[in-house]
Amino acid sequence: MGTTASQLAKDSLSEYQELTFLTKQEILLAHRRFTELLDRDERNHPNPRVPMEVILTLPELKSNPFKTRICQVFSTSEDKDGSLTFEDFLDLLSAFSDSATLEIKSHYAFRIFDFDDDGTLDYGDLEKLVNCLTGETEDTRLTSEEMRQLISNILDESDIDKDGTVNLSEFQHVISRSPDFVSSFKIVL
Amino acid sequence: MALSKNRLVVSCPTEEQNLIKELVALSTTEQIRKIRELPVSFEEKKHVRTQAMAFKSSGQSHHFSSLRDFSQNMSLLIRRFGYSIKSVSQSLQLWRGIMKEIGGKFGSSVLNYFVLLKWLLLFNIFSFLVNFGFITIPLLVSDLSPNVSPNVSFRGLELLTGAGYFNYTVMYYGSYSNETFRGLVDYDMQLAYFFTISVYMVLCGLVLIFSMASSFKKNYALADAASNSAWQLLCSWDFSITNEKAVNQRKNNLRIQLKESLSEKAHRERQTTSEQLKQYGIYFGSWLLSTGLAVGCGASVFYLCQYEDEQAEDTETWSALKEAETLLVPFVVSLMNMVIPLFFSLFNKFEQYSSQRKQIYALLFRNVLLRISILGVLCYYWMNTVPQKFTCWEPMVGQALYRLVIVDFIFLMLGSLFGEFLSNVIGTKIQPRLGVPEFDVARNVLEIIYAQTLAWIGIYFSPLLPVIQILKFFILFYLKKVSLTHNCQPPRRSGRAAQMKTIFIFLLFIPFFAGALSIVAYTAWSLTPSEHCGPFRGLNNTFSVIGEWIDDVNKLSSTQWVVWIYQNVIRSEIFYFLITLIILVLIYIFWQLIQGRKELIVLLRKQIVNEGKDKSFLLEKLQNLQKSCPEVNKKQKKRTTHTSRRSAERSSGSQSNSNAVVQVLLARQQQEEEERRNASGVSVPSDISTSDAMMQAMLARQKAERQDENAYEATDGHPPPLDAVAQSLAARQRAEETDGYWSTTHFNRSNPVYSSIIQVRQSAERDREDDSHDATSPVSSAMIQVMQARQKAEEEERNQRIYPPGQNAASPGSSALIQAMLARQQAQNEYDDGY
Repeated sequence: MGTTASQLAKDSLSEYQELTFLTKQEILLAHRRFTELLDRDERNHPNPRVPMEVILTLPELKSNPFKTRICQVFSTSEDKDGSLTFEDFLDLLSAFSDSATLEIKSHYAFRIFDFDDDGTLDYGDLEKLVNCLTGETEDTRLTSEEMRQLISNILDESDIDKDGTVNLSEFQHVISRSPDFVSSFKIVL
Repeated sequence: MALSKNRLVVSCPTEEQNLIKELVALSTTEQIRKIRELPVSFEEKKHVRTQAMAFKSSGQSHHFSSLRDFSQNMSLLIRRFGYSIKSVSQSLQLWRGIMKEIGGKFGSSVLNYFVLLKWLLLFNIFSFLVNFGFITIPLLVSDLSPNVSPNVSFRGLELLTGAGYFNYTVMYYGSYSNETFRGLVDYDMQLAYFFTISVYMVLCGLVLIFSMASSFKKNYALADAASNSAWQLLCSWDFSITNEKAVNQRKNNLRIQLKESLSEKAHRERQTTSEQLKQYGIYFGSWLLSTGLAVGCGASVFYLCQYEDEQAEDTETWSALKEAETLLVPFVVSLMNMVIPLFFSLFNKFEQYSSQRKQIYALLFRNVLLRISILGVLCYYWMNTVPQKFTCWEPMVGQALYRLVIVDFIFLMLGSLFGEFLSNVIGTKIQPRLGVPEFDVARNVLEIIYAQTLAWIGIYFSPLLPVIQILKFFILFYLKKVSLTHNCQPPRRSGRAAQMKTIFIFLLFIPFFAGALSIVAYTAWSLTPSEHCGPFRGLNNTFSVIGEWIDDVNKLSSTQWVVWIYQNVIRSEIFYFLITLIILVLIYIFWQLIQGRKELIVLLRKQIVNEGKDKSFLLEKLQNLQKSCPEVNKKQKKRTTHTSRRSAERSSGSQSNSNAVVQVLLARQQQEEEERRNASGVSVPSDISTSDAMMQAMLARQKAERQDENAYEATDGHPPPLDAVAQSLAARQRAEETDGYWSTTHFNRSNPVYSSIIQVRQSAERDREDDSHDATSPVSSAMIQVMQARQKAEEEERNQRIYPPGQNAASPGSSALIQAMLARQQAQNEYDDGY
């Protein structure tokens, strides 16, 4: 199990090394940053869970437009509130690391972009995605006509079976033809 | 894995068991790697792993337990060793922190410049080590360096011109001797010099070829052709940017780019002929101008070299003024390299290319043309005029290159000052409209490629030139980094970084490295080495060193095979002819393979589109039937509430909807059997026989769903019961056997295109090693039926508008519909579970 003592147990460390894509240094650094987020009394818990607001104070996530979605996707909590344990945090870093495979990255990217968690990217998801990336305020949004046009372009490109949504395999197909994706889907502590 | 939350993702016990069975069959390392690549949470991975290990150890006997433990411990140790090596090598990487900072603030296209700079620096470090180790150190050790002429002392000017005092040091070719050192080992300086340089160049070439090929494959062959497509822009959002301002800027840029991509599609249609003519006129004019400029620069360098030729004398000592005059040519060359590209950018502003990519390529091509023409003229001068004029000509060429490198460095620094610092000042204080300058990646990359080319040409003439290059690149890195952070803003257009990287490596290789290699090769092959200095003095050409060496080797009988290889392989033309022929044949075969694969892709795409159409067609029909069936509405309403709850959990809501509607169809079918008997004669008997089996399948599925509903509250609601699914499968297989003949005959009468598609699909499935293979092949024949039903329906709609396609056309198709629905649900279940 995850540990919050100031030292990581040695066999936990080797287990983390084997089951994630992170190196030992990265795991230790992650542990250090994670314990910095905890309060004094939480540090002695066996498996502390950090609420989403605290996670989002990390500088690597603070300005990311998808910060809440990322926390929600990687969270294993029952209440789906986006809180992360140390192992969830490692999962996050592992999926965003240099050595993660394209399948893992595209899988998690799909889940992050799937705002309503229904397993496909439909019109609403795509609209939210574009708004997330272009700005939330009124003067920076695209007009609804432009949005409609843009999303129909997107669906033309990627919806191969023409059902009006982009499912995981279509998304992975688009991703595989976009060589910048692997190098840009990266968060390093 | 069902596509749901991070919780229990391994949805059904069989899936998990299949996975574990698969894992147990692999070795431990493979197992670990496979588990690591599962897109599930950490807890799940641990769970799977413990299960796999428990399974493995329980399934094995006790006899070889000690051996097994030992091998497991060994593999664990090896893995741990591998991890520690990986982390050590990561921490030793040069400039890692700085690169991360730059990447975080400016994005990966700017980062590419620094990555390339670091890569070229590594080339130079390697070259320095090799040259110093194999050529210079033996010379220094054996103390055979020539004496410095007494009236030459170190003046400061040497640092710039490279002549004078430096001429007598080991810096240049001229100081190396041609003797063989007798010591512990016979060390032949001639061979050492020749082999070191040539092996280094060959290794460089191989590294470049491999990296170019892998980059090309990753970024070009698999990449999308459309540069401004919306998905490309959205998917290339850089997650590593941490600066708030940079993020906002990126969002702005992305919005602008998206709007541009929307308007581009509209704009492209609206160009009239006169506008097009004007466009072509502008293109022609600017290309003419740029080529003219490049040629003009080349010609002026030529005349300048001739002038310098007249001024120079072949004496031992030169006055300071004469030495300073030699700086004229490098000065003019670097000045041209700095100023003329500005003109090219100006031309670029007037032209309007259809895509931004073409714009960058055009600009790059013109810059490359300029530099190649200047370098070409210089090399021509060096190869032709210098050997006739000077007795010891190689060091002269070496000095010229040294001067070029140094002056180029000075101009790079000045260029950074004027280009970036001044633009920043002008942009922010004097003329705010211009804004902060962008870091021009293409121009900077071209500058370092050009610098590296000079070093590559110069290695033969001046073995220690890489030292200068290392210092130059080192200082340049920090200079550019400071200039970047203080003066520049992130590039406005995002994306295309990976493709630009491919282009840069390609540029590095083809004109520049290949050119440098050919210059060196020409020198070694055709030019006579100078007679009084250098390691190849007295020979006819450099390459005859090999001939002499082979003669020496020939004297010993034990190494005759080397001589044989040399005579019959390297020097024989037949060998090269045969190799060329074989390579050409292989290229042709691979090309044909590629064409075949392209056709396959087109066919598969069409098939996916067809299946999508089938799906929507079936759903439409089912919904129509459902609407026209009032008495089962109540039952259906109850179903829909359950299904709507379940659809929030399942992967595709339409699937569970159709579950309910299929039941409706069943009831309907029972009613309509008599009508069908009268309506369509041929296809009835098989329909009835299938419908029997289908009804069994349907009942099984109903049972499954009822069980599912009851189990929903109890567990977390995922595993669909296996036995019901197996029953339906068995029922369907029985149905297939009975109407197998029917389906093939009916099939042959249909459109041959579909048959080819089905064959293609089946062969593709076989290739893919789908483990749900036996579930999908009955699916494909069901697909054929569905497609025919759809085709028929479409034709009928087209031909007889009056004839309502409601009851009659639907009813012979409805049993096929049920079968198809089942088959499709099966396929979708396993398809979704597979992810």
